[in-house]
Amino acid sequence: MPTIRIYEAALCCDTGVCGADVDKSLVEVTADVRNLQGLGADIARHNLAGDPTAFTVDETVRAFMHTVGSKGLPLTVVDGVTVATGTYPGLEQLRELAGLASTTGTNDGAPRTELGRTETTGGCCGGATGCC
Amino acid sequence: MKFLESPPRFLFFTGKGGVGKTSVACATALELADRGLNVLLVSTDPASNIGQVFGITIGNTITPINAIPRLSALEINPEQAADAYRERIIAPVRGLLPESELAGIAESLSGSCTTEIASFDEFTNLLTDDTVYGEYDHIVFDTAPTGHTIRLLQLPGSWTEFLDAGKGDPSCLGPLSGLEKHKTVYAQAVRALADPTRTRLVLVSRAQASSLNEIDRTFGELSKIGIAGGFVVINGILPTLAGEEPLAQAVRDREAAAIVAMPATIAALPRDLVELKSGNMVGVTALGLLFSGAASGEAPARDRDAREIADEPLRTLVDDLERDDHGLVLCMGKGGVGKTTIAAAIAVALAERGHDVHLTTTDPAAHLTDTLNSSIRGLAVSRIDPVEAIRHYRDHVMATKGKDLDAEGRAALAEDLMSPCTDEVAVFREFSRAVHESRRKFVVVDTAPTGHTLLLLDATGSYHREIARQVGDSMSFVTPLMRLQDPDLTKVILVTLAETTPVLEAEELQQDLERAGIHPWAWVVNDSIAAARPDSGFLRQRAANELEQIDRVRAVADRMAIIPLLPLEPIGETLLADLTDGIAQPA
Repeated sequence: MPTIRIYEAALCCDTGVCGADVDKSLVEVTADVRNLQGLGADIARHNLAGDPTAFTVDETVRAFMHTVGSKGLPLTVVDGVTVATGTYPGLEQLRELAGLASTTGTNDGAPRTELGRTETTGGCCGGATGCC
Repeated sequence: MKFLESPPRFLFFTGKGGVGKTSVACATALELADRGLNVLLVSTDPASNIGQVFGITIGNTITPINAIPRLSALEINPEQAADAYRERIIAPVRGLLPESELAGIAESLSGSCTTEIASFDEFTNLLTDDTVYGEYDHIVFDTAPTGHTIRLLQLPGSWTEFLDAGKGDPSCLGPLSGLEKHKTVYAQAVRALADPTRTRLVLVSRAQASSLNEIDRTFGELSKIGIAGGFVVINGILPTLAGEEPLAQAVRDREAAAIVAMPATIAALPRDLVELKSGNMVGVTALGLLFSGAASGEAPARDRDAREIADEPLRTLVDDLERDDHGLVLCMGKGGVGKTTIAAAIAVALAERGHDVHLTTTDPAAHLTDTLNSSIRGLAVSRIDPVEAIRHYRDHVMATKGKDLDAEGRAALAEDLMSPCTDEVAVFREFSRAVHESRRKFVVVDTAPTGHTLLLLDATGSYHREIARQVGDSMSFVTPLMRLQDPDLTKVILVTLAETTPVLEAEELQQDLERAGIHPWAWVVNDSIAAARPDSGFLRQRAANELEQIDRVRAVADRMAIIPLLPLEPIGETLLADLTDGIAQPA
């Protein structure tokens, strides 16, 4: 089974769903990841603030952090291969990456590129630090 | 004292600032050490004054109290704890990630939530690490885990369930998340806290509605995470020694009424009454007398009579405020110092002078504002109800960001929004609205207790930074924080009592505000016995004790007002107006 890892910018919590203005892309990726985990997919998220070590053990990710840095996050890596940067993959894309059959009509098939970090207010707790 | 009968290993003292928690905790530690037991006295209060009580410097390491065999003390400094906490997370990746990234991680771990968690982390070690703390028969905590910290433990589904299921963190655990090795320790700590044979919770209060309501709330919150079996200590009851003068009688009546009206849950708990002493509870001798009926202290000091304190009525502050015709007046201070009363008095005075005034309060005891609403021309009263604000906020997020989710996703989102951050954020939204309004009229805000308020300002600060980042240099913009920093618009009034702890806490608050670029405009010393000019020797001794604190306030305040302790609680417009003018009530 493919291993999907999503490396995320510093969020005050593992989901990032909190704060003054909740980031819709985080709400969705949280729901999608839960959904896939429920279906048995090997998918996990790593938050730079909570677990920076995860960003140093994988060579791909470490190189990414040195050349691009956290402004290029989120980074999605499947079996060591970078499949998306700067935006979260959508549910359908994640299903494909996880090797799970598509169930029609649940969502659009395209990655939700419109939901990148540009729309956010810094994720959690209203910005850079917030209450966390 | 009932709470001192067969005490378990851990004793927690909780209650509002200024109720005498530290004195009661210190006296308890002394008593247990006297019984021949090894005792460690711990404070997690950033403004700890255990050291001051014993006349020594304590700090972040266990320090023996030399005067008392078998007694040691420890003050956990939250800032230092937070530094250590950040270091634990960052150290393993130093040299592996670019410096700029490390700085970013440190920045994201520098909010109040991290500080609180770091303190909590230290605190759980005290509960669980027997190799370090096993030699102590009793560990006496000057502060109980409250509010934010409790919510961390109260997360939906409960800690242990998540850990057992290995599902990871379902909700915003803040910087707690990802620290696997701590999870067992946290679970053990929760078990120790919930076990009455190991932990006793002592709720310290004054005979005062706000302070009794506070311990009722704390007890309710702690009960939810399984900590039951509390004991109530009502501290500072006016003794017969205070005589029969009208002020003393009135205070007694108020105390009796507050005790009769105390919430049913805490009324059912074992209760001890501790009398007010004429002297300050500093030093081993004074503390040794706290639980006895004996009077402490000397005869009334004659070298400096409390009657000499200058008349500094609230009116002088109102005169100054009035010059601008609009602005934001923020009454800040620890719980129980009378912020709501001062805010209401100022609002009433401004409205009676013909100004358009909006008084907004977060005080859950809305009776004061209820009596004012619609009774005075030009005065509008509103209440920020944190519970309502949070509900609005959650509903808003569910309806906007969560609208495309399926049922399961919506349920998960609803759970995520139970995050401890949410409360602060929700209140901040309401608060920002009040800030905005103050450009056209007077807005008088009675803020929630200090810890809460600072979180709120912190949210204001990060919002400001974020807007600044998004807008860049190309546009001009004004954030709520900038308005709070503008001395022409915002006047922060720090409210305190003329007692050691509240003054210390207010000084800390002033420093915190200065760090946020906000310089307090004035101080108000509330409920001053000295300003009430009492007759009995006992009350005059208390009044003399206040002078030192009043001097400290005068040294740090740009301007100040002193409000006398009044025979009647200042409820309603007439009594509030008297308060502003410094008119002594007919007793």
